[in-house]
Amino acid sequence: MMEDIKEHFVEYVALLIGMAVFVVLLVIYRFDKDALLIISGVGSAFYVAWGILHYVLRKRLTRTIVYEYVLFGILVFLLLFTVLSI
Amino acid sequence: MPFNLFKEKAQENPAVIKHWRKNPKSIEKYQFVYNFLPNPDKKRRASLISNKAVFIYCSLIVIVTLAFRIIPKFAPGVLGYASNINVKDLLEYTNGKREEVGLSDLKLNSKLTLAAQEKAADMFKDGYWAHVAPDGAEPWDFILAQNYDYIYAGENLAKNFSTSKEVVEAWYKSPSHKSNLLGANYDEVGFAVVNGVLNGYETTLVVQMFGRPREPSMVASVYEEESVLKESVNNSTLEPVKGSQTSALESSSFSPSTVVSTPKVDMTLAAKSISLAFGGFVGSLLAIDMWYSRKKGINKFTGQTFAHIIILIVVIISVWFVLQPGIVL
Repeated sequence: MMEDIKEHFVEYVALLIGMAVFVVLLVIYRFDKDALLIISGVGSAFYVAWGILHYVLRKRLTRTIVYEYVLFGILVFLLLFTVLSI
Repeated sequence: MPFNLFKEKAQENPAVIKHWRKNPKSIEKYQFVYNFLPNPDKKRRASLISNKAVFIYCSLIVIVTLAFRIIPKFAPGVLGYASNINVKDLLEYTNGKREEVGLSDLKLNSKLTLAAQEKAADMFKDGYWAHVAPDGAEPWDFILAQNYDYIYAGENLAKNFSTSKEVVEAWYKSPSHKSNLLGANYDEVGFAVVNGVLNGYETTLVVQMFGRPREPSMVASVYEEESVLKESVNNSTLEPVKGSQTSALESSSFSPSTVVSTPKVDMTLAAKSISLAFGGFVGSLLAIDMWYSRKKGINKFTGQTFAHIIILIVVIISVWFVLQPGIVL
C-alpha cells in the first residue's frame, strides 16, 4: 500500500485535497440544504472519477473496478443524503 | 480457518481429506469466515464488502429513507425532531449578533410576540411552511392584526432545529435572514416557539418578527420586556404537543418559554444512526480486509481499499459533526 502511495503520490494528494475541499464546503454551507446536496453529489462523483482515473493511468481498469467505484460513490452519497433529506 | 490452511493440513495428514469427504458441512462451516475476511484463493474481498453486498446496503438505505417519507402519512407525529428552544436564549443570541456589529439591542414586544404566535399556529393549522399563507396572508397581516402600527417590519422562520443557538446561527449564515437579524431599521422583536405536527412530522417552529413602531414612544419598555420574559420563566417548560394542531395553538398561546419536543422517534438520531451504522460497518470490514491482506500477502484484483476507508471516514465525520437538521426560511 505504502509503495502504491509513493508511486502515485500526486494522485493521492489530489484525492486528499479533494476531500479537504469537500469537508470545508460542507462546513461553510452547513445550513443550506440545497447546497449540501449538490456538494454531496459532486463529492461522490469526484471520488468515482478519481478511482476510475487511478486505474486508467495504470492501464488496469476492469468492469468490476468501475462497478466498485460507482457503488462506493452511490453509498457515500446515500449516507449523506439520509441525513440531509430529513 | 482459511482455505490454504486446509490444504496444508491435508498434506500433513491424508486422513483429513477422508474426513472432509464424509463431512462436507465441516468445510462449509469454515467458509463462513470469508464473509469477513478476504479470500486468498479467489483473490476477492470479504463477501460482506463485495460489490453485490454494497449494492444491497445501498438498496436498504434507499428503502429506509423512503420509509421516513411514508410513515408520517400513515402515523402522523410518530417521527419528529427533538428540540429544546428558549425565547430568552433566542433574544440573547440575536442581540449578541447585533452587539458584535455595534447595533442596539432589540426589545421584546408583546404584540410582535403574539403576531409570531398566530403565524406559527396558522402554519400548523393549514399545513404550510412559507412566508405567505395559502390564503394569501402575508407576515404584515399578522402584525397589523395585533394593532402594531409599524414603519418597518420583517420575518424570519425556522424549523426542525435542536437548540436556540443553532436557530440564530442558521439565520446568521443566510444572507437574507442576516439582513433582518442585523437590520438597523428595527427596534423590536417577537418570537414564537411552537410544537406541533407539520406534514406528519412532530416539529418545533420558530417565528421571529421584527418591527419599528410608527410612534417612537410605542417602543417596548423595559417593564414590558421583563413581563414577557417573566411569563416565560414562570412557564419555563411546556409539555410537548402531540397530535392535533388545535392543541398546539392552545398550549402555546402566548407562552414564549422553553419548548421541549420529544417525539417517539427522533428523525435526527435515526438518520444519523443509520448512516453511521452502514458507514461504520463497511469501513470496519475494509480496515480488516486491508490488515489481513497485508498480513497474509494477499493480492486482490479490487479497487483501492485505503481510498475507500478514507472517504468513509470523511463521510462519518461529516455526518456526526457537520450535518445538522433544521431549515430556515
